[in-house]
This record gives sequence, C-alpha cells and structure tokens, in this order.
Amino acid sequence: MTRTWQITRALMVAGLLETVRRKDVYVVLILSALLTLGAAAFRVFGVQGLEIFVKDVAFSAVGIMSTVLTILIAARQIPEELQRRTIYPLMARPITRGQLLLSKWVTATLTAGVAFLLLALANLVLLVSLGITLKPIFVQYLLLKLLGIAWLSALVIALSVYLTPPATITIALILAFGSGAFGRLLLMAHWEHGLDALWLNLLYGILPHYDYFDMSKKVVFDWDLAPWGVLLAMAGYAVLSSTAWLFVGWLRFRKQTL
Amino acid sequence: MHPIEVRNLVVAYRRWFKPPLRAVDGLSFEVRAGEIVGFLGVNGAGKTSTIKTLMGFQPPTAGEVRLFGMQATDARARRLVGFLPETALYSPYLTPYETLRLYGELHGLRGRQLKAQIEALLEMVNLAHKMHTLNKHLSKGMLQRVGIAQALLGDPQLLILDEVSSGLDPIGKRELRDLLAAQRQRGTTIFFSSHELAEVASICDRILVIHKGKLIAEHRLDELVGRVQSLEDYFIRTVQAERDILGKEVQAA
Repeated sequence: MTRTWQITRALMVAGLLETVRRKDVYVVLILSALLTLGAAAFRVFGVQGLEIFVKDVAFSAVGIMSTVLTILIAARQIPEELQRRTIYPLMARPITRGQLLLSKWVTATLTAGVAFLLLALANLVLLVSLGITLKPIFVQYLLLKLLGIAWLSALVIALSVYLTPPATITIALILAFGSGAFGRLLLMAHWEHGLDALWLNLLYGILPHYDYFDMSKKVVFDWDLAPWGVLLAMAGYAVLSSTAWLFVGWLRFRKQTL
Repeated sequence: MHPIEVRNLVVAYRRWFKPPLRAVDGLSFEVRAGEIVGFLGVNGAGKTSTIKTLMGFQPPTAGEVRLFGMQATDARARRLVGFLPETALYSPYLTPYETLRLYGELHGLRGRQLKAQIEALLEMVNLAHKMHTLNKHLSKGMLQRVGIAQALLGDPQLLILDEVSSGLDPIGKRELRDLLAAQRQRGTTIFFSSHELAEVASICDRILVIHKGKLIAEHRLDELVGRVQSLEDYFIRTVQAERDILGKEVQAA
C-alpha cells in the first residue's frame, strides 16, 4: 500500500504540475468569470423575488462546467500517455498496470475536485454578493459532488482504455447528463410493468447513476440537512461502483499492448 | 540465471480478414551478465517488438521471456533494468529535473539520495545547465540525453536501449560511447538496437542479427575481425543472403 501511495503521489504531483503549466486552470478561471458576468446582469435588474431562479441558474452552471471538466480531465489521463509515448519510460519502472490505473484515477479526481471547489467557491461569493445566503445543506452538496467526481472519473478512465478519446468523451457526456432522464424513463416503465419486473430492476441497477450525486436542487430550495446516513450510503455506492469501473478498466489495460 | 533469456518467442499481431502477422517468429537467445550485445536488423525485422516484450509492454503470443530469472511481465524484474525507448518523448510541461524526479520516485528512490543522483546524471549527460528548462523548449538531442539519464536512474544492472543514438549529434554520439564504456566498467549488462553499425562495432562484445522475426546470425565481434571488411559489409551480406533464401523458398512453393 505504501508503494502504491508513493507511485500515486509521484504521478499526482507531475499531473498537477502539468495541469497548472498547460493552463487548464485558466479554463476554470474563464468559467468563473462568465459566472460573474452572468450574475452582474442580475445585479442590474436586482434579484428581489428572483433568488431561487438565480440560485438555480448558478448551480446548474457549476454542475455542467464541473461535469464537463471532470470528463475532459479523466478522458486524457491514459490515452495521452499512450499517444505521447510517455507510457514507455513510465511502465519501464517497477510499477504494475493496476497501480498506474489507480494513480491516474486519483490524479483525475483530485484535479477535477479542485476545479469544482474553485467554481463552487466563486459561485458562493457571487451569491453572497447578491445578498443570497445558502443553508448548511451546501456543505453536503459539496461532499456529495466530490464523491460524484471520483465516481465519474473512474467511469471515464475505464471507458478510455476501451474506446478512442472522442468516443469516450461522447459516451461519458451522454451517461453523465442522461443518467437522470434514463432513471425517470425507467421509473415510468416500472409504473407500466409493475415494480417487480426483473429486467427493469436489472437495467436500473446496471445503468450508471451520476444524478444520485447531485443535491443542487435541494440547495436551491433551501432544504434542511439530509440525514448523514444517506450520505454514508452514497459514499458506499461511490466506492463500490468506482471499484467496479476501475476493475473493468484494469481487465483490458493489464493485457493491452502498449 | 542470465539478465536476459528469450526462449522460442513469438509475437503475432491480429489483423482483420488476414492471418496474424508474426513480427517475431520463434526467437531464442540469451544475454550474459556484463555483456554488451547489439541487436541488429533492417526496419520491420522485429527488433522493437522483441524489446517491447522484454520490457513487458507486450505479452508474448508464445514462448518465454525472462529478466534475471523473472517473467518480463513481472514489475519486480524492472527494478534492475534501465530502459531507453526508441523515440524519447517526455512530458513537455515538466523540466528534466522534474522528469527524473518522477521516474526516480516511481523506481522507489526518494529524498537526498534521489536529488544527488538526478544532479549527477544531468551533469553526466551535460544537461545540468538546462535542468530547470521545460522539456518543450529542449532540442531532440537534449531530450535524448534526458532519456539516457532516466535510463541510468537507480543504477540498473541491465540497460535496454532502443535506437540509442537517435537524434544525437556527432559529439553526443561520442559522449554516449564513453558513457556506455563507463557502464561496462561498472559491470552493467547492455542490450541495444541500433542502425549505427560503426557504433555497434566500437562497443559491442556480441551481435545478434534478426530478419523477419528470426535470428539469422549470432557472432562475437572478435570472431569477425579479419574475416569481414566491416560490420556494415557483413550485415548487408547476411541480410541479403537470407532474403535470397526466402525468395527461393517462395518460388519453390
């Protein structure tokens, strides 16, 4: 475990240095600036009676931007090493392919997580500057979203060892943004076929549920804190599900010709 | 237990609607401790496929590849090995110092020992003055020097070098020869592929020649002295003879 952590730390430091130097962080800053500009428009007209609408727009924007960034960051972790052929000196070291996969997942999660926190912080500052306050459920929203980022990174990394980068990004975007709609369609089908329809339950279980990790609507509508047991259950789902995705990715990557 | 043992190695690539392409076809050889062995062949002969299998980048289709008695796919085997890929590409957003620190940490080195080793290696390959310049601002030859330095990290007992002098200028090539000679003095085993036959002749103990994935000649260099005009002449004649034999076999079939 110590060895795996040493490998993860080395790759993470290099990955973060690259992220900063390739100016990826500028994307986050530009997105934050766009949020500010959007909020400035509200400032012109005032937000009296529009608090919920403003919060909805701001949280939707943060949700979309952080999801797209997570997918883009995770989708390049392994394919870029292969494309640049930097995988050779990397794998010439005494590290296993499983350790590399795990390290890349941690790097992607950390990078995307930091980007999300920056966006969320910018969002918070903007809302407060408009006189809109948030309830403590905002903290639970942050925690759950970070779990979602870890989960999504695992899914995208697994896809990236099977598919080309454009295909990975396309499918990941469909799964991430479509998961809520798929879930609702399946619930409607349940209504039609009965709750005990095995094939529907299987399909619901297999489909990735990124929508589970989104509490933004509850923040928008000022809900009270959710029971911490629910968050714990979500953490369990994220751990199990991410492990399954990484295992599926490893099954292919361990035998892949580099 | 030799540093490299290859037995009946087959590397085949699957193709759509065609029989698999056998890049390496029943190759067997070994490299003994302290030897410098040149691995020669024309483009497409199977050198890089063999080296990829040696490094565990590619599982063999059949046969066995061992490094220091361990399966080449076993990560532990690579603790004793330094590798220089054919085209040395390193992250454009890291400096040579950071690049070596990354590979050193992946190798299990850390702290002052790693720092001292990185500085000594960059000094050795004449890149100390560029150690904090981003790789994207370095020339191809300089990047090759970064590659050589990373291959030497962790004092490997076996060096596997693919097209080692690629991108180096004449002075760089001379320095590389000196560096390999110094490694030989330390008892490091070296296995390398190269198209620079003069370079091979000047540093190798033994050569292996492959053609279409098969070993067609194996000689100690001192055996060839006086028998052949030059290594280049010998290599061309050997490969040409093999081509003629294969051509006749095809005609007869």
